[in-house]
Amino acid sequence: MAEMVQKESGGAILNHWILAISCILLIITGFAFLFHLESVGSVFGGFETMKTVHNWTGVVFSVSLVLTLFQYLGDSLKYDADDAQWFKVAGGYLSHKVKVPPMGKHNPGQKLYYLGIALFGILIALSGFGIWLMKDNSTIMLLSHFVHNLAFIFFCIMVPVHIYLSTLANPGTLQIMLTGKVPLDLARKRYPKWVKAMGKM
Amino acid sequence: MADNTKNRKAILVSPELCIGCRACQVACKSWNLLPGIKTQNNGTYQNPPDLASAAYNIIRYSEVPGQENPVRWLFVSRRCMHCEDAGCMKICPAAGALYKTDEGAVAFDRDKCIACKLCVNACPFDVPRYDEEGKVTKCHFCFDRIGNGMEPACVKTCPTGALKYGDRNELISNAKADGFSTIYGEQDLGGLGAVYAFKDEPKLYGMKENPTIPSSVVFWHTYLKPLSWIGLGGVVAAAAIHYLAIGPHKDEEEV
Repeated sequence: MAEMVQKESGGAILNHWILAISCILLIITGFAFLFHLESVGSVFGGFETMKTVHNWTGVVFSVSLVLTLFQYLGDSLKYDADDAQWFKVAGGYLSHKVKVPPMGKHNPGQKLYYLGIALFGILIALSGFGIWLMKDNSTIMLLSHFVHNLAFIFFCIMVPVHIYLSTLANPGTLQIMLTGKVPLDLARKRYPKWVKAMGKM
Repeated sequence: MADNTKNRKAILVSPELCIGCRACQVACKSWNLLPGIKTQNNGTYQNPPDLASAAYNIIRYSEVPGQENPVRWLFVSRRCMHCEDAGCMKICPAAGALYKTDEGAVAFDRDKCIACKLCVNACPFDVPRYDEEGKVTKCHFCFDRIGNGMEPACVKTCPTGALKYGDRNELISNAKADGFSTIYGEQDLGGLGAVYAFKDEPKLYGMKENPTIPSSVVFWHTYLKPLSWIGLGGVVAAAAIHYLAIGPHKDEEEV
């Protein structure tokens, strides 16, 4: 058995699952509202129950999102020269021949993705509460409806990218979401600066 | 849009013929089994003062004395306009809660309404109201009557012909033949289902000039809505192409 290193804590894994499941449920029900998908509505026994599910799942998502701020925000705001070089080679995703610079715990693509999720997540949560709770204020209602749908576009596009990159595109990444552990050999290749900081290089 | 112009029905309101008797309000309540509303005297005969969950139509009373006529009093029927391009239907997230009938009426299904109130904010005419259970109510053109070849209750009871029901094109051409050069609602929002033959500026009667659906709702409907599924589908397709053409990350080549 290869030596494993703990990349994510149990709490972080749990919160990520809560965020992921609530987010996907919200996207599915959101699409059902947007395009009147009666087959999805009938799963919930009608659109009114689906609205209740959508709203309260939104509460779960919002709480989980706030918790991620403590998890990822600090790291997501730090960028160095290797990160700049990472962008120049597109993270090595467009060609296997380029040399990808050594990365820390997260690459800059992940960091920017998180900042996007945090920003649009806060917008979609606030606007969601606006639509839910400020029904009698026309300005807030229309603004919230617009912002909610604008942020929805970000989620529709970026969440599938995130799922692809963390599963098929990078074999072995999904197990971090399951166990939090990475084989040390793999970690040395993928996150050398992080392993070095731990003194295991 | 062109599909139902052949069959499209309308109510033609001719305020000059209206005597302000409000029989239309009573007939509407009677047919739709709407309860009475406790109102207040606001110094006008207009009562109830505004549309309400139990008042699908009202007669608006405007006093507009001019130089020639110092006691001019205008009565005009206010109700859902049954827009061809209806903002309420555009924004409504609940399937089947607001729907169009073959006659062009914008009707509602109370049981399918999810009480979100988005329609209230997308209506150019401030028409939809919510009842005490938070469900949408508004004039539904007596869809249950017109669907069976009858006139709406308000039209049926109108004693002067201020409200007329019939084929939309016919009503408009008849009104034009009677000398009304512009018909309010002929073109607005794809054409309204309630059209008005005014002698004066519609504004004088308290009508909204150039009614439009809020621009954010139009932008959302035109661009954001399609972008959500095009974006999702495009990204999934791009991921599949990437996986096949370039393939997953390989650690060996990196070190």
